[in-house]
Amino acid sequence: MLKIMFGDMENAVYHPPTYFDNQYEDEWITDPLSVAMIRDIDRSEVVGTHLIESPVLGPISTKEISGGVKTLILMAFDESGRIFNASACGDNCAGWIVEIGKRKDLTINLHHVMNFSAVPELEALMLNTGRLVHSYGEYLEEALKIKER
Amino acid sequence: MKGKYHIVIQNNRLRYELDIRRNITIIRGDSATGKTTMLNLLEQAAALGAGSGVEVICERPCRTLGGMDWNLILPNLHEQILFLDEENRFLKSQEFAEAVKASSNYFVIVTREDLPNLPYSVDEIYGIHTSGRYHDLKRTYNELYRIYSAETILTEKYRPEHIIVEDSNSGYEFFRAVCDENGISCSSAEGKSNFRSVMNKRGNEAILAVADGAAIGSEMNELYQLMCQKPTIKCYLPESFEWLLLKAGIAGGKSVRDILDHPEDFIESQEYVSWERFFTALLVDNTKDSYLRYNKSRLNGAYLQGKIKQAVLDVIEGVDWGK
Repeated sequence: MLKIMFGDMENAVYHPPTYFDNQYEDEWITDPLSVAMIRDIDRSEVVGTHLIESPVLGPISTKEISGGVKTLILMAFDESGRIFNASACGDNCAGWIVEIGKRKDLTINLHHVMNFSAVPELEALMLNTGRLVHSYGEYLEEALKIKER
Repeated sequence: MKGKYHIVIQNNRLRYELDIRRNITIIRGDSATGKTTMLNLLEQAAALGAGSGVEVICERPCRTLGGMDWNLILPNLHEQILFLDEENRFLKSQEFAEAVKASSNYFVIVTREDLPNLPYSVDEIYGIHTSGRYHDLKRTYNELYRIYSAETILTEKYRPEHIIVEDSNSGYEFFRAVCDENGISCSSAEGKSNFRSVMNKRGNEAILAVADGAAIGSEMNELYQLMCQKPTIKCYLPESFEWLLLKAGIAGGKSVRDILDHPEDFIESQEYVSWERFFTALLVDNTKDSYLRYNKSRLNGAYLQGKIKQAVLDVIEGVDWGK
């Protein structure tokens, strides 16, 4: 289940890419889910734990993947109990956030209204109001009622 | 600082080209478009100069600003172009907003968050896209694109049933009078921060939202999603109501037309934090000795008279007034 909280919250990591650089585990990178997310968002291929092949930059280290993908990997694999700021993710990450939310109980923090319109099925619990939304339209309507950002 | 600045940032694999023409520019968009990489290049160039292998070409010094001591550094920077990344929590603070307003620098801010304390333009919100390989085939060429272009906002003649005006002063009085004559209802949102909630509460009426484009930037992400979700909502976003009056050619003649053609060369950012304030001052100055004397808080009735009113409506090309 995906849970969304707008505005400041305890235990949230405001800039997940920095947290990723200091806390990621090697095995996260070669997991098929990470490989697929890096391929989709960054158009890059995971060669090994410490090497990514970027079409723009050539061979790069794990720390050079995009901030959006770093945040997605944390959402998928970090077990510290921390909540990650999904405003570090572009709208092209929205589908993966929903996908991760189907695989595990995922709470994300947002400081802007992320655009989920390209995601075919969205179900999420809006923690600010307690309402369960079943579509992008319901999510947007509810998000616009919430003052916190 | 005033003027438009072309910036090139490049190494042997990447080339970024940007045109910056106001004090506040926002860069956002999808992940993996190179925003952070661009800022990293700038930071390396600022720290190590030519020895970094990064080339930055611009009439003005370009550098990054961030970290815990930003407020100690900023007062020592003048007439530079400063780039700030989303990792800086202070971007949303009132302290930062006040510092921007008092600064002679231009600010390029990478963030997806809306910054309601800062008056930035709908026209200065950009994404980065890759437009291909450079001529040497090794370097990838990146440039800015405008996220909310006027064409995506009001594309064809639109007949609204209701008009919501951002402000409650002269602009609202003008549109209310025009609406009354044309059988259209009209209300004021009484400020840009109320805009989205006011529109969200309305049903499926054909709504036209009128706001100052020069300062509505912080509301655009949500407004745009609302417009996409409810196609009966459209936006008309001139720089400001005063810009609209000036654009109608009612005052100032050629000198005003010259300014409107390239305002960035005339508007000193330290004096006018956003362009709508400049246009208000320009209109007040150019009408002060005439029957069109402009007062922002109460509309001079002369603006609702025949030819003057029609000249203003002619500027608003996308609206079908019906009569």
